[in-house]
Amino acid sequence: MKPDMSQTVAEKLFSRHNLTGKPVRAGDILEARITGAMMHYHANEPMHDLAVQAGFKDGLPEVWDRDRIYVLLDHHQPTLSQKQADENALIRREVERLGIRCFHDSEPGIAHQMMADYGLMRPGELVVGNDSHTISYGALNCGGVGITRADMLYVLLFGELWFQVPHSIKVVLNGSPRGYPIAKDIILNLAGKYGDDLAGNMSIEYTGSLVPQLSMDSRMCLSAHGVEVGAKLALFPYDEMTREFVQKRTDKAYEPIAADADAYYEKEIVLDVDEMPFVVAKPHQFGNVSPVDEVAGRRIHQAIIGSCANGRFEDIEIAARVLKGRKVAKGMRFLISPASQQVYLQCLKAGLVETLIEAGAQVVTPGCGVCQPKVGFLSDGEACITSTTRNFKGRKGSMNAEIYLAGPLTVAAAALKGEIVHPREVLDGL
Amino acid sequence: MGFDLGRPVRGRVWKFGDSIETDAINPYYRYPTMEELKLHTMEAYRPEFPREVKAGDILVAGRNFGCGSSRPGLVLREVGIAAILAESVARLFLRNSIARAIPIFLAPGIGAIVKDGETLEIDYPAGIVRNPATNAAIGLRKFPPLIEDIFSAGGLPELAYERYLRKNAAHNASGSS
Repeated sequence: MKPDMSQTVAEKLFSRHNLTGKPVRAGDILEARITGAMMHYHANEPMHDLAVQAGFKDGLPEVWDRDRIYVLLDHHQPTLSQKQADENALIRREVERLGIRCFHDSEPGIAHQMMADYGLMRPGELVVGNDSHTISYGALNCGGVGITRADMLYVLLFGELWFQVPHSIKVVLNGSPRGYPIAKDIILNLAGKYGDDLAGNMSIEYTGSLVPQLSMDSRMCLSAHGVEVGAKLALFPYDEMTREFVQKRTDKAYEPIAADADAYYEKEIVLDVDEMPFVVAKPHQFGNVSPVDEVAGRRIHQAIIGSCANGRFEDIEIAARVLKGRKVAKGMRFLISPASQQVYLQCLKAGLVETLIEAGAQVVTPGCGVCQPKVGFLSDGEACITSTTRNFKGRKGSMNAEIYLAGPLTVAAAALKGEIVHPREVLDGL
Repeated sequence: MGFDLGRPVRGRVWKFGDSIETDAINPYYRYPTMEELKLHTMEAYRPEFPREVKAGDILVAGRNFGCGSSRPGLVLREVGIAAILAESVARLFLRNSIARAIPIFLAPGIGAIVKDGETLEIDYPAGIVRNPATNAAIGLRKFPPLIEDIFSAGGLPELAYERYLRKNAAHNASGSS
């Protein structure tokens, strides 16, 4: 490759972290130097089980850098079973033995949100995690890449990993903010129109006139959902908002990455958010998207706001705004799980929790449980509308239940009315 | 034990659609042990699959196979699937399969040359998949050498172990000189 050739953000990211120091282009295979490694409740597998299987009799003998490995017990804190408690105890022992310094053991919350809350990932870094939503770090212009548990074992030992440099897709979001969160509707509209693998194996670069006005909460939603449309990376440009967010949380130096003006994109998609309808993803796929009007009237038994996609302040604030002085529908189980303790605190201080509890919502412990069959199960024949990440069959328990994905405003509207309704029925000015 | 990509595979085909997701492949939320998983893998799409799949069968899927959470497809190997062929594979499922040396091949156009229940022959060194009943054949993508090495080692943890031993041997050798 000629040194003067233009590069996308992904090409620059992998060039910067290439072990050989040479610039790379889309399609190249390389071994990269890892900046940081995030592990959650599956930590024991790379640290111990897989290591033993590979030949290390006593588990992992050492780690490459005790300051660059972050262990957060998110999914399993607090524990919901004896098995989880025993697994956590093993992880605790291994973390201690290996001397890993950053360990969020007894704090509930979603690892990805805590990585952001505590400034553990920064613009321009290559940060891997053994969870598919590690991609959410792209909101901060950070190269967050989900890897597998077996990959993680390799990273823990050597701080290196193989990658293929992805091709890039430009997603141009034009239009104006609306005074309530629309990130979920944006990604669902895209998945409905272009398919749930529209960015298959590629790096998304978000751009367009809406982007500078998108809150950090919305950016994190769009980056997290990169994986639901098949992406390897889902990156936002570094701007003043990013700078402020990062500097409040860490004083470590970092170097953001911007694409060259004439970088090559495999595809370009444009969405005018002003023309965009409210939508839901119907059971059982992310790309099975319809305008909300088409499913209006569907009886709902459980509504959820939470997850690494939509469990942040703005998602909970819109629910409180909709429910203020009102009551959820009779029998409605409305679960709200803030993404982290920091988000929870932010909501408490703003009075949102009081409003929501008065309206009959259940505010449950921060964490990933509401997005899995761990907290808030469905029974046969029930339907759930949720702002969480996935609506696969059985994702909330029963294989004979229906899960609809929607933005937090649409979820709150359904919680209030007991059925799927267009948000205009509950919020003035739509 | 390394995995030999060069060994030819011939088997009966189980055909699945697009965007087959990992909750269905590996429903460990509901069935935490391998013995239970083997009785339930893929039942969300085809309830008869766990009952009727036989050792040596081949799984053929559409685009975006293995989307969703990062979960290895070890259970498919455990029930006897000898190889997976797909139009395209979600990146984490592909990484998982490579890292655990589970034979998975990208074969765009595969859906058009085979029906459910027919037989396929996979010749990885030649880069060809063939349906002997119709003689229809398509190419499959070869992996770069770095990935072939992972298969040869039996997976990425095994490769890591080999590298670690080499590193320590070199370290000890230089330390004693």
